[in-house]
Amino acid sequence: MASIIDIKEECALHVRDFEFTYKGAESPSLKKITMPIAKHSITALIGPSGCGKTTLLRSFNRMHDLYPGNTYAGEIEFEGRNILSDKEDLIHLRTKIGMIFQKPTAFPMSIFDNVAYGMRLQGIKNKTELSDRVEKALKDAAIWKEVSDRLKHDANGLSGGQQQRLCIARAIAVEPEVLLFDEPTSALDPISTQGIERLVIELKERVSIIIVTHNMQQAARVSDYTGFMYLGELIELGETEKLFVTPKEKLTQEYITGKFG
Amino acid sequence: MTAVQKRVLINKIALAFSTLSALIALGFLFWILGVLVMKGISALNWNIFIFEGAPPGNPESGLKHALVGQAILIGMATAIGVPLGILAGTYLSEYGKNSKLAHTIRDISDIMMSAPSIVIGAFVYAIVVMPMGHFSAWAGAIALGIIMIPVILRTTDDMLQLVPGELREAAFALGAPKYKVILSVVYRGAKAGILTGVLLGIARVGGETAPLLFTSFNDNFFTTDLNEAMPSLTVTIFNYATSPYEDWQQLGWAAAFILSMFILGLNILGRLILLAGKKRK
Repeated sequence: MASIIDIKEECALHVRDFEFTYKGAESPSLKKITMPIAKHSITALIGPSGCGKTTLLRSFNRMHDLYPGNTYAGEIEFEGRNILSDKEDLIHLRTKIGMIFQKPTAFPMSIFDNVAYGMRLQGIKNKTELSDRVEKALKDAAIWKEVSDRLKHDANGLSGGQQQRLCIARAIAVEPEVLLFDEPTSALDPISTQGIERLVIELKERVSIIIVTHNMQQAARVSDYTGFMYLGELIELGETEKLFVTPKEKLTQEYITGKFG
Repeated sequence: MTAVQKRVLINKIALAFSTLSALIALGFLFWILGVLVMKGISALNWNIFIFEGAPPGNPESGLKHALVGQAILIGMATAIGVPLGILAGTYLSEYGKNSKLAHTIRDISDIMMSAPSIVIGAFVYAIVVMPMGHFSAWAGAIALGIIMIPVILRTTDDMLQLVPGELREAAFALGAPKYKVILSVVYRGAKAGILTGVLLGIARVGGETAPLLFTSFNDNFFTTDLNEAMPSLTVTIFNYATSPYEDWQQLGWAAAFILSMFILGLNILGRLILLAGKKRK
């Protein structure tokens, strides 16, 4: 049976008996997952390819709804309500729970417009407010120094690592409560990876972070809690240090010691 | 002869044949262009742009009527074909995707693209010219617009599908509603491709003669009345080139030259835009 620790601190999200089935699939891809996500800390999801970690991550902002036919069951509680409900306003939800993707997704527009995109969607038109908040977001994403003199330039001219930090700036500019990272460094070089990891650790003071990674060292370096998933089930959730040093489940131990994966 | 020598020989023969064929094909193209440029340029003069059509033998005759008529017809056709083509292409790529309806529309559009343009002319004759009782610029523009739709629909569909799905997801993840994702992210990502499609669509109908023969018909005099027959470069070329009068034939060459340069220019511009778009990435 799964071994899930009980988190004493305040939680950002509560997942209860959550199941997810892709369109046309016979059995659910995620089975009876129950896990708390601690507030203002970093939770890493690890596991072999196909274990469902990205599927779980994409459930938190209901990204699966973009492709009709997928079904959810169970509950994901956020700010006191079940976000799987049909009544959930997905546009509002996604401004509260932001996402960073595997590949940098700079929009084909200027650096400034990229960061301002989410704020403009929320109806902020005031130029000084926009430029103040763009500057702050870029500073928080540790990229301001590199781009401050070329805000009007096309964002696609930036390097991969810079684009990824730009995407983080764009996501935090709308001040979300939770940020989802889907293997954010797998397309980046080691130096850029280091920059992103440092940034993720800094950001947890303000947002709760869930990060999917297939790099166990990365999970060990950045996260406070780690969940190990296998074949659509959450096998173990624990404090990162304890999970990597003294895992409670045999499967977890086999995975982190490299016996499979 | 060894097996290797034999293969080398066969290779050389095949290469020689294909090179020769390419040269012959290109030769005809340059021959046509060469004749057109020589005859066309020698027939060009300022009078062409100042005077409208006149009876043969009149030195004060030109192509003003056909140039303006062509511009009006193309402009109206663009106003009909571009919005319909882009919106339909957007439906296919962003909403219909792989649904049965979307596939059916794509197939029909492909058939329309290769349908003889005279058939479309006949169709417009039946639904516009007959009820109106006379030829009109409207009928010509509608025929050209219909021919334009499948070209623009298909390029828009293809170009929008080239925009990576992650980009759409990233916009959705910031809380964008679907129409905003399409307007502000997807269109922007595909704008060079869509613009190229529009230019190619205009170039495609620019040279059409058959569908105009029984829709906008022709007129030898200057007019901007959309409810009347409207002169066009293509039908004017047809009439002047087949006439027995030397000066009309000259005007026909000039019209053919101007039209060819216009279409060539559009094609080159379309390619340049695509190239510039690729370089940026």
